[in-house]
Amino acid sequence: MEIPYVVTPRKDTGLFNSKIAIWLFLASEVMLFGGFFSAYVFLRLGADFPWPERTLPVLPGLINTFVLIGSSVTVVFAWASLKLRDWRKFQIFMGITVFCALIFMVLKGVEYNVKLHHQALRLKDYSVIEGHLGYETEDDKPVLDHKGNKIEENLINVETSKLTFNTVRFHKPWVEELLTQAEHRHSKIVLTADVSAITREGQAAEVIAKAGEPLSIELLNRIQKTHLAARSHNGVIRTAALRDEWKKAKAANPDKRGWQIADGVNIDMAVVTPQLLSEISTVAFTVDPSAHFDFHPRDIKPAATQSRLRDDTVIDGKLLDSPMVFHHVDAIDFQHLAMKAEEKGIDPEVAIENSWLIKNSPFAKQAWEWHQGEVAKLKAQLLKDYGADKDGKAIRFPTHKELYRIGWKDFAEKAEDEGRAKLAPADAFKEEFFGPNYEARGDETFPGFSVPREQVGFESKFTPAWNPYYAIYFTITGLHGLHVIGGALVLAYYLFFGRKMYLSNPEWLANRVEIGGLFWHFVDLVWIFVFPILYLM
Amino acid sequence: MSSHATSPAGHDAHHEDHHHDPGFLRKWVFSTDHKMIGIQYGITAMCFLAFGFYLMMVMRWSIAFPHQPLPEWMSWVFTDGWKARWLQDGKVTGETYNMFGAMHGTIMVFLGIVPLGFGAFGNYVTPLQIGAVDMAFPRLNMASYWVYFLGGIIMCSSFFLESGSAKSGWTNYSPLAGFADGQIVNQWLAGQTQWLLGLVLLITSSLLGSVNFITTIINLRVRGMTWMRMPFFVWSMLVTGFLLLLAFPPLEAAGIMQLMDRVAHSSFFMPSGLFTKTEGLANLSGGGSPLLFQHLFWFLGHPEVYVLLLPAFACVSEIIPANTRKPLWGYKSMVYSVLVLGFLSFVVWAHHMYMTGMGAAVSTFFQTTTVLISVPSVVIITAMLISLWGGSIRFTPPMMWACAFIPMFGIGGLTGLPLAFNLADLHLHDTYYVIGHFHYVVAPGILFGFFAGVLHWYPKITGRYMSKTLNHLHFWPSLICMNLIFFPMLVQGMAGFHRRWYNGGDAYLSKAQDSVNIFGNTVVQHIDMNIIMSMGAWTMAFFQIFFIINLFTSWKFGKKVENDNPWDATTLEWATPTPPGHGNFLVEPVTYRGPYEYSRPDCDSDFLPQWIEPKHLEAPDKH
Repeated sequence: MEIPYVVTPRKDTGLFNSKIAIWLFLASEVMLFGGFFSAYVFLRLGADFPWPERTLPVLPGLINTFVLIGSSVTVVFAWASLKLRDWRKFQIFMGITVFCALIFMVLKGVEYNVKLHHQALRLKDYSVIEGHLGYETEDDKPVLDHKGNKIEENLINVETSKLTFNTVRFHKPWVEELLTQAEHRHSKIVLTADVSAITREGQAAEVIAKAGEPLSIELLNRIQKTHLAARSHNGVIRTAALRDEWKKAKAANPDKRGWQIADGVNIDMAVVTPQLLSEISTVAFTVDPSAHFDFHPRDIKPAATQSRLRDDTVIDGKLLDSPMVFHHVDAIDFQHLAMKAEEKGIDPEVAIENSWLIKNSPFAKQAWEWHQGEVAKLKAQLLKDYGADKDGKAIRFPTHKELYRIGWKDFAEKAEDEGRAKLAPADAFKEEFFGPNYEARGDETFPGFSVPREQVGFESKFTPAWNPYYAIYFTITGLHGLHVIGGALVLAYYLFFGRKMYLSNPEWLANRVEIGGLFWHFVDLVWIFVFPILYLM
Repeated sequence: MSSHATSPAGHDAHHEDHHHDPGFLRKWVFSTDHKMIGIQYGITAMCFLAFGFYLMMVMRWSIAFPHQPLPEWMSWVFTDGWKARWLQDGKVTGETYNMFGAMHGTIMVFLGIVPLGFGAFGNYVTPLQIGAVDMAFPRLNMASYWVYFLGGIIMCSSFFLESGSAKSGWTNYSPLAGFADGQIVNQWLAGQTQWLLGLVLLITSSLLGSVNFITTIINLRVRGMTWMRMPFFVWSMLVTGFLLLLAFPPLEAAGIMQLMDRVAHSSFFMPSGLFTKTEGLANLSGGGSPLLFQHLFWFLGHPEVYVLLLPAFACVSEIIPANTRKPLWGYKSMVYSVLVLGFLSFVVWAHHMYMTGMGAAVSTFFQTTTVLISVPSVVIITAMLISLWGGSIRFTPPMMWACAFIPMFGIGGLTGLPLAFNLADLHLHDTYYVIGHFHYVVAPGILFGFFAGVLHWYPKITGRYMSKTLNHLHFWPSLICMNLIFFPMLVQGMAGFHRRWYNGGDAYLSKAQDSVNIFGNTVVQHIDMNIIMSMGAWTMAFFQIFFIINLFTSWKFGKKVENDNPWDATTLEWATPTPPGHGNFLVEPVTYRGPYEYSRPDCDSDFLPQWIEPKHLEAPDKH
């Protein structure tokens, strides 16, 4: 059996099989990315927050654009070389193509990495600060956590005296984490009281774990096993009892419907209870002596005296101050606050003057005042350049972003105005890729700042969680990146393992490279859309 | 009756043109033969259908007999531990009902009907009908099946997770779906996440399948098989392939975005200021759009309806001419209709979203396109109906199902019209009327078409007929029960029964007995229908056993076919040996004419297969 038109095209369609297939596949891909681009349009049109415009560094994206376009050209040369049966040239051009893919991914990696380490924080009044978290040094030594790592994470601290686990839902890694933290703080987590349970029908309760037994996964598992066995046993008993009740009720009311008698049908607990085993759905442990435990904000629902973890573990203890400590603040953004103020009909300037940040941070106040001066200069410049209409109003005026956002470049400019450090051109170029250079520009340019937890509205790194713009940015570019990797792997396979096929059936290899090349062009084409939409608009 | 079969009956399956024995695994499990893959798809899909049916039986208990423990004959399937977690004293809880409801829909649509129609029938029959040796990409075909299988396993195994399976309806709307299972620490082990992962795999499977089908149909047609000589079956598969190819990716995009919402805490579909009773103010950025998910979902969701339907059309349109002994009436208009249907199915999606407040202009647009799409559907179904006219109908087992398909699908289609209208939909939306409508299309409609297909091609696959007696035992009760289940739904729906009442309106009833609720007394008047419908469902389940018995016993004990073309049909699949070996045809066939040349006046026998050379004609060619 041989499938026709694998290498040679069919006469009436003029196509070989895989060429049809790749075009169909690309049509499907167009719909996939079309779905994402539509989502982008939909989200941006419906955004109820200031959509971050022109927020990404353009230079790496621009370089990537040319890298991809270049590789699309070389992949065609590689295919043409195969058609001309020139293996050496094929190797060179395909090599360049694959190398371009590598450059693209490295630049992408740098871009992602910078974002994933950059903290954003939206205060309750919707002012936003951006920067890097970290704790101040003590005696020139950074503060370390119990694992010996520099504390960069933003954590919530609870002075814990008691832990109550849900015996079914407790999350093992978290229990282990609690144990390590207790050990580090020289504290012990022990069972508060004897856990006793009826484990066999009709027998008296027996102690399955003694008070004072230290917390361990093994102990929790043991209690869980007892609990599940009892639950399943009780389920059988109770179901049988309820079935009997229904049988009796139906016999007593033959002409009534189920819903008419349902209220009166209940299990007779007096009969059933002696047959039941003990279910132990929670188990309490004492932390002795009570100790500070810290938790990731997403894992805990904090409250003044009793917090709860997402796996249903209840933490008794006082919630401690858990401020978010910024080592460097590199942007202050009042766009969201201004937007909210305008919605309420309040003058944004007044709202900003009254914001928590301006009132509590001298640096923010000073930066805002400096920024007002810059805005005034900009307005004057715009008036000079573009003139005014007949009412005397300027034709052009600053954008929302120019009015209300003080970015890291503004901070740098301010520092230069004030006669502080100016960077060498090479370092300034590096900043285009890696963001602000804190060390060279100094702590006065990007000072530290601490925000108490109760002022935190929403915080996140610059990840998909920060807002739908970053969500769609990471999703589209991530998926595009996967396409680049996939395409490059296929092309690299032809490059490194294609020799044998070249010798036996060069036309087939050329077909395959053509297919791979078509895919590569598609990947390039997607980027041509991605770049302006996500980087320039 | 003369036979034009190319090989004697009972010809050995292992004919000469393939010498190597591929070994057990290659032959039965990791086969690249489109026929074996078709059979694998068929059996797997039927297993999933049975499972989905079972979930529905449990749900119907909760609707008909709320507050009563599940009876032993239904609950023995679960372990005691599972029952203790998910049933309260043996009663179906609201959460469990939601779980079953979401999975019933998902399983039936994505794991049952689509693989059965497109995967099984499409795979087995399409290459045979165009005279191809196999699909264009046999290994891709195998991958398509295994990816589907894996996706199904991932989805169904989520029943055993701590979170249970997905529970936000088969449409999985955010933010409801976004919050469900939020308590699970490792989100990759939450039922909702597994649903999304399974879905992404299923979409991948359809993508591989549809690329393969379309390429095969375009490039592997045998000599003489021009476009207008292709059986309607192949046309349907071509359009289905395009629907899968182009409609599924936006859902994949939505699935990926919802996955991001779950594991990366993004807010694609989560609006600002979400507040829940359990979580308080959600720890999310907000700013996303729940409506976006609905748009992306229904952009797939509506073409998906035709992905389900077209294979059933395909089966029935092959069976009708073979059993009426006359050509399919209006073959060309059917072909054009199916193409128009395919195109229009992409521009009707938002009629599922009239209640979202999209605005009158948008609603009007989608109302218009929705009414338009009924035109090609009606053309097809009318052509099928007229095809019966004046035929000498043979009521063979497949023909019985095909005949039942037409009115059943007719009810399903016509009850859809009120839903197409914005104004009527406001009343009927999310009631049992909607459930009744689309189940009439899918269950007695599409499934009957598939039963017909199984009975029709079974002799080709196995060399034996399925039992007529067992078929009667299967057919008549199924026909009656289907209507017992779904017709009352239409009535209940118009009375205002909401589709997601897990206790069948009982909670409303307890309030309405003394006081007047918004439905007046209508709930009281219609609640007893729940019991009739549930009884109908369980009875129908019982009679499906006869089909299963028939399917497996006939393989060994059925009546043997007399020749390779037992129905005296005209399309190319009947030119193969029975069952066809690897590579399908002994001699590469040539197509000389259209697919439905029955009862030609210039021909002695009442059928003239596509592959018979014109010189065999006794009468001179008039043209």
